[in-house]
Amino acid sequence: MGSLIDTLQFVYAPQIINGLSIGVAVVLMALGLTIIFGLLDVINMAHGEFYALGAYVGVTLLAMGVNFWLALVLVPLIMAPLGYLTERLFIQRVFHQRDRHMLTLLLTFGLAIVLEDVYKLVFGPQPYSVEMPISGGSEIMGVFFPNYRLFMMAIGTLIIAAVWLVVYKTRLGAMVRAAAFDKNMASSLGVPVSVVYAATFAFGVALAGLAGILLAPIYSVFPTMGKDFILMAFSVVIVGGLGSIKGAVIAGLLLTQIQALSSLYISPSWSDPLVFGIMVAVLMLRPQGLFGRLGHG
Amino acid sequence: MAESTAAVSVVRRVASSQPEEVARNILRRFAYLFVALALLFTVIAYSAGDVFFFRLATEALLFGGLAMGVDLLLGYAGLLSLGHALFFGLGAYVSALVLKNMAPSFWLAMLVTLVVSSAAGLVAGVIAIRARGVYFALITFGLAEVVAKAVFNTQDLGGSDGIMGVPILKISLGFFSVNSNDAGAFFLLVLVLIMALYFGLEAMLRTPFGRMIVAIKANEDRVPFLGFSAQRYKLVIFIVAANVAALSGAIYPVLRGFVSPELLFFHTSGNAVITVILGGIGTLVGPLYGSVILTALKSVVGSFTEHHLIVIGVLFMISVIFFPAGLIGYLKGRIQSRREQSRRIS
Repeated sequence: MGSLIDTLQFVYAPQIINGLSIGVAVVLMALGLTIIFGLLDVINMAHGEFYALGAYVGVTLLAMGVNFWLALVLVPLIMAPLGYLTERLFIQRVFHQRDRHMLTLLLTFGLAIVLEDVYKLVFGPQPYSVEMPISGGSEIMGVFFPNYRLFMMAIGTLIIAAVWLVVYKTRLGAMVRAAAFDKNMASSLGVPVSVVYAATFAFGVALAGLAGILLAPIYSVFPTMGKDFILMAFSVVIVGGLGSIKGAVIAGLLLTQIQALSSLYISPSWSDPLVFGIMVAVLMLRPQGLFGRLGHG
Repeated sequence: MAESTAAVSVVRRVASSQPEEVARNILRRFAYLFVALALLFTVIAYSAGDVFFFRLATEALLFGGLAMGVDLLLGYAGLLSLGHALFFGLGAYVSALVLKNMAPSFWLAMLVTLVVSSAAGLVAGVIAIRARGVYFALITFGLAEVVAKAVFNTQDLGGSDGIMGVPILKISLGFFSVNSNDAGAFFLLVLVLIMALYFGLEAMLRTPFGRMIVAIKANEDRVPFLGFSAQRYKLVIFIVAANVAALSGAIYPVLRGFVSPELLFFHTSGNAVITVILGGIGTLVGPLYGSVILTALKSVVGSFTEHHLIVIGVLFMISVIFFPAGLIGYLKGRIQSRREQSRRIS
């Protein structure tokens, strides 16, 4: 019995906490992806590159002498207008054509290629490391946890709660949900649908950027960082249901836990295929995911 | 009797002036032009004693074959595959293993690839065709990633290094044989194989089976009303597209002497999609032109700067926004409308 508790305490608990701290960052990414899909029907293939951009903007701000906490606020504020412009300049151009699913997917895929190479051009291929803004750790139930990871979990939970509040409890959120449910009806009731579209895209991009700067001290910052991370976010969004906020949160925490705990038993390099395998299985058996999409309940 | 032959000839004439028939004839001319240009290139490169450009052009043809498979799904069945590198890489790995471990026979490698990729296409197809639209795109993407990571982690398949040391082959063609070391002759052989694939697919699309594929793209839900199973047809076209990519991939190790897991990565699938969009969706010959353009761009821009992806990405985005029909699709539209005009005048 004692050894079981020891195992729980010293083997599982650290993995669970580490998984949770990565999990909230994944949820932030997935929330952006899923809200953009739920409202605009756009699979944003460049979402990983916006995540990387958030990290790069953060690195630049830090290099200019801005402290980390201010950077954490500034990064989403800088990212949102960029997202707004992206929607207006690119997405809107193909949005009204019949096969807009494909065209927007291809367009954002093209954007991802360009952005990744721009990062290489501007920042070089070498990784940047960001100093931990909170050093040290705390002991909880006899196990040592890095403070920064605990902070990430706290702030991540706050942001997720804020997103939920905005979408489901405010007038703004009601407009977004109305536009997602029936854009013609929403438009005739006075919702400025095209502004809502661009603003939602901007919001999703800002969340991705925030995830980028939050994770920068844990992983280093390099041009292809988005590519490795986006796969996980896609899996989360699909398992949770494309366009579902609840689904993104639950599936995000679930999949990162599976990844964290499975790496105790199998080589970590196999935990990625495991997560994709789950995604493929969900797509096969329940293509709509675990939960319904935005605006539909 | 005479009446009925007259009727038949009238029907034929009507059929041949159908816009679809006209479009097909234009596309076929583009295919002939492609062969003519390739032969012209051969003459010039051969007289210059070149090896490098022959190798590059052969590679362009192989990736053109992969793109043709993607176009078969996207342009005809309306299914966007974001993981078609899975089959290209599968063909490359199977062929490399056969050539290295079984026998250095080109045709044996192709045969084994055909069998393996048909089986893999069946399994992947059963999984993927249940989904539609973006879900199909994402499921193919996920499947390819699972396999790519698995191969990358498997030491028996060379892990991150891939398989090296594929022997140089003597490819028997009945009366004579081609040495895979002879860049010019090997290019011609690959040209013949890829064009055979092209004309084979073109003929297939003219059969009732091919018409059904186009019908599924037009309106999948109505196909069952005609008494056909859309799922079954989609599965078959998926397997055909898998084989087109796998056979192209199977030639890759003969050309380069090695295979690497990069062939399976999303990068390769993504490039194939770019190739199809640039060359012309739903034209089959467009992807071949697209592949040549992309390879040339990479090599020309790549000689000035290592950031050629910016150029390719911007070109791709412009193409999606302003020329969604692609190069051959755009030219086809122009020629078609000009013909229409001249016919109306006469």
